[in-house]
Amino acid sequence: MAAMASLTRRTLLKTGGGLILAVAADGAVSVASAQDAAPTSGAAWIRIEPSGTIRILFPSTEMGQGSSTALPLILAEEMDANWEDVVVEQLDADDRRFGNPAFGNLLYTAGSSGVYGYFDALRQAGANARALLIDIAAERLAVDPSELTTTPSLVVHGASDRQIPYGTLAQGDVPVTRAAPAPLKPRSAFRLIGGDVPRRDIPGKSTGTEIYAIDVRLPGMLYAMVQRAPVEGETVSAMETGAAEAVPGLVQVVPLPDGVAVVAETIWAAQQARDLLDITWTETSAARSWDDETTLADYAAAAEDLGADAAIWRAAGDAAAAIDGAEQTVAATYLSDYAYHAQIEPMAVVARVDADGAEVWAGTQTQTWTSRTVQDVLDLPPEQVRLHMMSMGGSFGRRTARMQEYVRDALLCAQATGQPVKVTWTREDDLRHGSFRPAAAQHMRAGLDGEGRLLGWQHRVGTPSVIAHFNPTRWAQVEPQDVISMLGSEGRFYAIDDFAAEHVMTERRARVIPWRGIGASYTAFAAEAFMDELAEAAGRDPFDYRMDLVADDPRAVALLERVRAMAAWDRPRQDTALGLSFAGYGDSRAAGVAEVALDRESGRITVPRFWAAVDAGLIVSPVNARSQIEGGIVFGVSSALLERVTIRGGEVQQENFYDYEILRADALPEIEIDLADMDAPPAPVGEAGTPMVAAAVANGFHALTGVRLRHMPFTPERVLAALA
Amino acid sequence: MTEFTLNGETIESSAPVETPLLWVIREELGLTGTKFGCGAAQCGACTVIVDGVATFSCVTPVDSVAGAEVTTIEGLSPDGDHPLQRAWIAEQVPQCGYCQSGQIMRAAALLAETPRPSPEEIRDVMSANLCRCGTYSRIFRAVERASEEV
Repeated sequence: MAAMASLTRRTLLKTGGGLILAVAADGAVSVASAQDAAPTSGAAWIRIEPSGTIRILFPSTEMGQGSSTALPLILAEEMDANWEDVVVEQLDADDRRFGNPAFGNLLYTAGSSGVYGYFDALRQAGANARALLIDIAAERLAVDPSELTTTPSLVVHGASDRQIPYGTLAQGDVPVTRAAPAPLKPRSAFRLIGGDVPRRDIPGKSTGTEIYAIDVRLPGMLYAMVQRAPVEGETVSAMETGAAEAVPGLVQVVPLPDGVAVVAETIWAAQQARDLLDITWTETSAARSWDDETTLADYAAAAEDLGADAAIWRAAGDAAAAIDGAEQTVAATYLSDYAYHAQIEPMAVVARVDADGAEVWAGTQTQTWTSRTVQDVLDLPPEQVRLHMMSMGGSFGRRTARMQEYVRDALLCAQATGQPVKVTWTREDDLRHGSFRPAAAQHMRAGLDGEGRLLGWQHRVGTPSVIAHFNPTRWAQVEPQDVISMLGSEGRFYAIDDFAAEHVMTERRARVIPWRGIGASYTAFAAEAFMDELAEAAGRDPFDYRMDLVADDPRAVALLERVRAMAAWDRPRQDTALGLSFAGYGDSRAAGVAEVALDRESGRITVPRFWAAVDAGLIVSPVNARSQIEGGIVFGVSSALLERVTIRGGEVQQENFYDYEILRADALPEIEIDLADMDAPPAPVGEAGTPMVAAAVANGFHALTGVRLRHMPFTPERVLAALA
Repeated sequence: MTEFTLNGETIESSAPVETPLLWVIREELGLTGTKFGCGAAQCGACTVIVDGVATFSCVTPVDSVAGAEVTTIEGLSPDGDHPLQRAWIAEQVPQCGYCQSGQIMRAAALLAETPRPSPEEIRDVMSANLCRCGTYSRIFRAVERASEEV
């Protein structure tokens, strides 16, 4: 009440074209003129049109996670906007006014951070916008604001039975330009949050009308295919282009820093001509020595060398002393291979270079780094970069890099030809020239007392810095703390007094980049498989052993108990066995049980069932959150059983889905998810399902066979070798 | 020059005869609902229906469909309201959505042939198409829902 009365009265604004509302980082809302709205993109957080249409900005980018619905919906909830009136507008600029608070206001969609990063600011903005509309209505009706309330998209004066639509309030004189911070709704008043509002993008994605970067077509557009160096660091030493140039429709062969582009009038001509290039590459790159097997062996040696330098990721007490002084010491080394994103839309981008600068149609996880890529390649000021952030056909971390070479190549081709150019990567390009989840070797050590109680825990992760490679600009700010390489090794949900998670920073021997779940996709494998080994050493049930370590965390206790009941953990199975894992992502906790089956002849593991109990705080859209978590589990099963990139002589050996298999529908587990309904801040959802999976499978395999699997993926050959 | 029927209309493509049908549909004719995923009949994002049969358009030379009837996601229903499309929305199937045109076209060919498929048949047939977002269980549910309507 007091807040509503304390208006700042400034000049009267005339609004013919509607009301534009700016939102500050703290959610403060003020009326903006059209000129104040973001000049490069025309973007504003909220535009209320006289027709009643309410345009709400979507500042992230959409790769399938659903935040293009969830983020505007959070604002609409507090604003008391009728959701049917809301039109979602994509932010097409690196405009830090709309940046992600979880990433220092960069425009960066990653780490499952959209909802939790923007949540408080969007709620406050919506509440303030509603208060501002009430204040305007109070002036118009000559009543005290305290007499007014709202129903969706209407301000209501109950005493006189009058109401004014938001659209009407957006016309004519606006007597107030700012409201003081307004109170937020209680959860019990939510109409949209938690209410399973359908995603806005689903009808288009069910009718073939959603437009991805690969679908963009411009008048006069040419098509490019790119031949990149097979090994990082090599360049063209000689090239014969005669055969390629004889292909009808070929326009130009364009040299690139690390390869060659062929530009043609049709994509088929470009593809044929590209395949006819006869290129001799230099053979001087040190990367020619890269080999994934020797790499992993070297990483393991480094992780196991307790004297090797390491960056402390998290430490408490004195882990080494506690372990060395313990009655029983347990140690094991876990390995995981390079993994590929396998997003179904390969890299594709359309670029135009003209007198006004450059225009780019791209699906990436970041307006910031895509804009910076364009600026760097063409030496342009930011205001000459026009972005169109397209819906992505999957990403999972693939489209995050500081320098986006597919964008660069399209710009160079457009510049060379003077026409708009679409670059399309084939699947083979996308895999051979992919960037990967890093290979990792993790050495685990723990000390137990005579009763088997855990006294000290040391988790040494031998893997390169991912950030140093995919975003050197960022690395300069955070070195030596690499969240991409190390997340998930914190042991944050277990009470362990003497604890150390250490990054043994090894040499990079492949292109590396974030991958769904980032570090947690392999650190949780090692940590949770090792936890089972400790339970075994202590002679305890894996559940009971973990329960002792989470006793002070009621949310963790609740999840473990729930998944224990869901899976009927104590019921013996015939021919299958159960494995437990407790991981999560960031502040999200996830407890999973895998049912594991084995064909002993072929060594093929299957996972007929998977149960998960997940606590991701407040859930904006349960129907979408379940979809995300289930997808994350499928991703985890696929990675645990199948996915492996191998490198010989610096070359990626896989080329398509026939030799880089991902999980198909016939291997899908029956998945049951219990999603906690918490009155707690929202936490990550998109990546919460993945990290727990590999250890649950490995632990289930041990329960079935008595054998530990310590090298992911658990391919049939490795399974047979382990059983032999 | 290759003549065929696309979504009920007669089409003449001037593309070289060995051009994959996928590129003709997407780049020559501008129907971009059908997607490129692998170029190797592995992922099914390019699935269209040729004379009633779900077909990987990425490995189908355009001259092989001369005289045939080709249906893409754009031609599945006049207003995007085929029972499968309504079921896809009702079950909130898509995440990134990139594979879903192909999934729907494969399911449409299945239901045209087998209006009441068993869960095993659905799983078996739909295993030809990859979904990296992991929407398989919702795809199964949507096909079952639609099968009760067609």
